[in-house]
Amino acid sequence: MTIINITLPFGIIKDISDYSRFINEILKYDITLNILKFSTGSNGINLLIDIPEDKIKTITESLRKSNIIVNKKGRVFIDDEKCVDCGACISLCPTDALHLDFEERLEFSYEKCIGCLLCLDSCPRYAIEEM
Amino acid sequence: MTKTYNEINEKIKNGDIVVVTAEEMVKVVEDKGIRVAAEEIDVVTTGTFGPMCSSGAFLNFGHADPPIKFEHLWLNDVHAYHGNAAVDCYIGCTRMSDVRRFEYGGGHVIEDLVSGKPIRLRGNSYTTDCYPLAEVDTEFTINEINQAILCNPRNAYQRYVCAVNSSDKTLYTYMGKLLPHFGNAHYAGTGSLSPLSNDPDYETIGIGTRIFLGGGIGYIIGEGTQHSPSDQFGTIFVKGDLKQMSQEYLRGVTYEKYGTSLFVGVGIPIPILNEGLAKKTAISDKELLTDVVDYGVPRRGRPKLKQVNYEELKSGFIDLNGKKVKCSSLSSLFYARRIAETLKKWIQGGEFFLNPPAERLPTETIFIPMKQTSKLKFVKDLKRDAIICYDDCDLKTVAEKIINQNMNHIIITDRNQNLKGIVTSFDVTKAIAKDKTDLDEIITKKVIVTTDNEPIDVAARKMKQNDISALPVIDEKNKVVGIITSEELM
Ligand code: SF4
Ligand code: SF4
Repeated sequence: MTIINITLPFGIIKDISDYSRFINEILKYDITLNILKFSTGSNGINLLIDIPEDKIKTITESLRKSNIIVNKKGRVFIDDEKCVDCGACISLCPTDALHLDFEERLEFSYEKCIGCLLCLDSCPRYAIEEM
Repeated sequence: MTKTYNEINEKIKNGDIVVVTAEEMVKVVEDKGIRVAAEEIDVVTTGTFGPMCSSGAFLNFGHADPPIKFEHLWLNDVHAYHGNAAVDCYIGCTRMSDVRRFEYGGGHVIEDLVSGKPIRLRGNSYTTDCYPLAEVDTEFTINEINQAILCNPRNAYQRYVCAVNSSDKTLYTYMGKLLPHFGNAHYAGTGSLSPLSNDPDYETIGIGTRIFLGGGIGYIIGEGTQHSPSDQFGTIFVKGDLKQMSQEYLRGVTYEKYGTSLFVGVGIPIPILNEGLAKKTAISDKELLTDVVDYGVPRRGRPKLKQVNYEELKSGFIDLNGKKVKCSSLSSLFYARRIAETLKKWIQGGEFFLNPPAERLPTETIFIPMKQTSKLKFVKDLKRDAIICYDDCDLKTVAEKIINQNMNHIIITDRNQNLKGIVTSFDVTKAIAKDKTDLDEIITKKVIVTTDNEPIDVAARKMKQNDISALPVIDEKNKVVGIITSEELM
């Protein structure tokens, strides 16, 4: 099983029937699927799901046709040497993966990152890199 | 109770000076009251570390043999300004590399210079009798040139606005990346630690004030450009010896699709000469207000949506019409604190003395807008009538209109003039070639639009960014009131 994140951007999902339509879109491939996390963020609704490795391609392609964003989980890392702890990336992060610690330094929680890559081009120091 | 600069400096010499940071001062006044705080505390230190676009450095390279008078010169491929004597120049932080563009700019040159890295200098000249050399291509480090003077015409804004974006696309601005539909918010400045906010009447701040600058010692040399104290947007003009500064507090940065800049560390010590200053330096994040401004409107007078205080900003979320919007800073609070702490240590260690300004910063200047002699043109001035087809007509009707009216773009509306899409002559030609007859199949339904009151340059940028040659003009009810094409813009 592999974890991917799908983002249903605001605008595409207007009500619960839109939502169930997209879930059915995934289920029609007859797969086991675990929804690990359901959250709303600045970019829309994020679903962290666990699906069989061999189905990723089919599902990704099918969802992308409906403008749904699919990402593999945890795709960035922060170069501490370059980071100046400004925080410009934090507001972009739809989860709490990027946040300030007690000292006001940037802290990155890999397990919370859904790999949406929204933060990537927000860093003025090119300190965020795609893995 | 009053203290003088002499008394304070005497205490610094004797090692019994009491210094706190502006954040600590809030607590001291809360616990002990203003009167006691004014007696006990001698100096309050402040700090800020964030992007400051009006920054740069003057460099002097010494003379070449034979001598050269530069006409143009580049430092690591970043064009430096030359309009002074032969081998002086000014490298500005927002100037981008001719080669690497957004990735590397003047700010990065300054960071590399201060960290001791070799810098490539290329220059040319039209040559004179006294300066016969036509070209130079060499390398130098900061210790191999005469002067390197950081000289920033506008630093340390007293406060800055909080930016959001109401439009439907992501904006890349000097306030960072702003997500559509109020997806996030960015602010700048360090609130209660902010240097100018702690002495808003500039009782102790002015020409000659000795400060922390870029990790070394610098001086305020006047009010900054756009200094606008009447609405708490004061700024300072600073200079300092780059050779004594450190990379830690001078960092080159790039804001995606905006350009380069420089993070500058600034800290001002404020002597507590009287109770009034004790009170002012005790200002808290809650008392410092700023405006939430909509950068989705590309005009000078961007709409102000509401006021927020720095406490709310620092909490990580602001409330906008009942929606919780994630908010973060562009400036580093961690480094701002480190600056205030460093300045505190310098003073406690007897290495840094305070001095009265030769002249205080003005408190009444205002920031005026640019005088533009050519009148701003709007879409309504240049638009023309749109050729419209209803969405229930067939392809043939559209094709005929294109031919008869000699127009490349046909706007599709419903019977009530509501915009439904756009069709170009190219779409029609393609459809006819493929024997299609259904209009619905070839309409572009996601149309980029403009309005009567949009400035022409904004409409032109929309066309350029989307690589299209026409925009339907709509009113607030989505009804089509005209069209503007790239031809009108030429
Ligand atoms: S990719 Fe960046 S913005 Fe997206 S979840 Fe991970 S850290 Fe947050
Ligand atoms: S935007 Fe870049 S430099 Fe700023 S805190 Fe995030 S990773 Fe660090």
